[in-house]
Amino acid sequence: MFIKQFHTAERKIEFLHGTTTLAFKFEHGVIVAVDSRATAGSYIASQTVKKVIEINPYLLGTMAGGAADCSFWERLLARQCRIYELRNKERISVAAASKLLANMVYQYKGMGLSMGTMVCGWDKRGPGLYYVDSEGNRVCGDLFAVGSGSMYAYGVMDSGLRQDLTVDEACELGRRAIYQATFRDAYSGGQVNLYHVHSGGWTRISQEDVLMLHQKYRDQA
Amino acid sequence: MRQGVVYINTNFSSVSGFDAERDSMRTCLLTFECCCVCDIQKLLGRRSHGSAGSPVPLPFPMAHGTTTLAFVFQGGVLAAADTRSSCSGLVACPASQKILPIHSHLVGTTSGTSADCALWKRILSRELRLYQLRNGRRLSTSGAAKLLSHMLHPFKGTELCVAATLCGWDDHTSLSGPSLFYVCSDGSRLQGTLFSVGSGSPYAYSILDQGVQWGLTVAEATSIAREAVYRATHRDAYSGNCVDVYHVTSQGWTRRTREDLKEEYYREKESRRQTHEAEKKML
Repeated sequence: MFIKQFHTAERKIEFLHGTTTLAFKFEHGVIVAVDSRATAGSYIASQTVKKVIEINPYLLGTMAGGAADCSFWERLLARQCRIYELRNKERISVAAASKLLANMVYQYKGMGLSMGTMVCGWDKRGPGLYYVDSEGNRVCGDLFAVGSGSMYAYGVMDSGLRQDLTVDEACELGRRAIYQATFRDAYSGGQVNLYHVHSGGWTRISQEDVLMLHQKYRDQA
Repeated sequence: MRQGVVYINTNFSSVSGFDAERDSMRTCLLTFECCCVCDIQKLLGRRSHGSAGSPVPLPFPMAHGTTTLAFVFQGGVLAAADTRSSCSGLVACPASQKILPIHSHLVGTTSGTSADCALWKRILSRELRLYQLRNGRRLSTSGAAKLLSHMLHPFKGTELCVAATLCGWDDHTSLSGPSLFYVCSDGSRLQGTLFSVGSGSPYAYSILDQGVQWGLTVAEATSIAREAVYRATHRDAYSGNCVDVYHVTSQGWTRRTREDLKEEYYREKESRRQTHEAEKKML
């Protein structure tokens, strides 16, 4: 009986590798932009997925890979960050938060977790951006894009990124990068969700449908 | 040997819509066969008698290691490519030519196996020249693409790997103007206004999609093409070194001097450092 139950049919887990999420640091903080499409094979499961997880009012996490894995571990991270705050009477740094997350998932390395997230925030040292994944990578950087559409986003971001961008220019760059990725990548689409992390915490800038952006950019050209 | 000939002929007689070029096509394949009989036999034999169900191993696990692009605009066709030839991790040649001129009004970008691309481009040039001599006019880009596609078809399923874009200017009364076709050894033949091929193509696509329109000037188009290849070489390990830009117009093709992208990288780094310092001074 036991052995029979062990060999049940493989359940298909919904993965979000088919996605485009990006984040970059600039003078006035961190811009986080994501698409909102979830696919299971070639089926579009949803066009309205929230791929930015609000860990606390000054930390954001993005979601790529398994949706369940990302949201679960980032909620756990939120809990750990709150405990740190209560114990130490000060906010946790982005480096420490990302390290907590990396160490938590490292214990499950090789067991099938799928998570590629960017932890973005503002702390004593200024804007902070770390990429953490379920393989155990944790890297600090100025610019990351994760997912099947990441390569398209990199092209746009690399050519437009400067340290002296204004907030509006940076938002437009993030939005354009996600739009270009959704244009070419079949697994990305839906809406572009844009967040800006600054010294006062994060602000949700906009949510725009990719098809509206297509019209807008076409009329502009 | 007789069997080989029959195989090729029946293959093409079943193809519809390929009338005027058929004779030159058949001649082409027959002469090719005479040159290297055993090779074709082996290749065709492998395809028809190969062990059932076993897939032919591809030369690359992913897209061809290169970045090439081409697009059509009011000033003609612009083709650009990097110059790195890689062999799974080794940069075999940092100064290779990925854009090969086929005749005065047609260039082809190459991607895939360099040897295959070079050979098939030469065969295509030869066939187009023969067509021109026999018929007194140049074959259109569309015809050239069809010719290449049909020449590659017998090798479908083998390890041949060619992904080329043919960029040309046609001078016919009915359809004159710039023309762009993508031909691949897996059988695709597509007409379009913008193509990018290779492992660096996603990076290039996002730049091109932003900027390419019909109304660009030559200077703007060159700048976008260079930028797209530069961004792709920046992120893709299999693309790099220099960039070649070719421009095809009604007068023929012209080539820009090869530019080392390392200079561009240092220039950009320098200008960013300068703006950063200017900012710090202001603060």
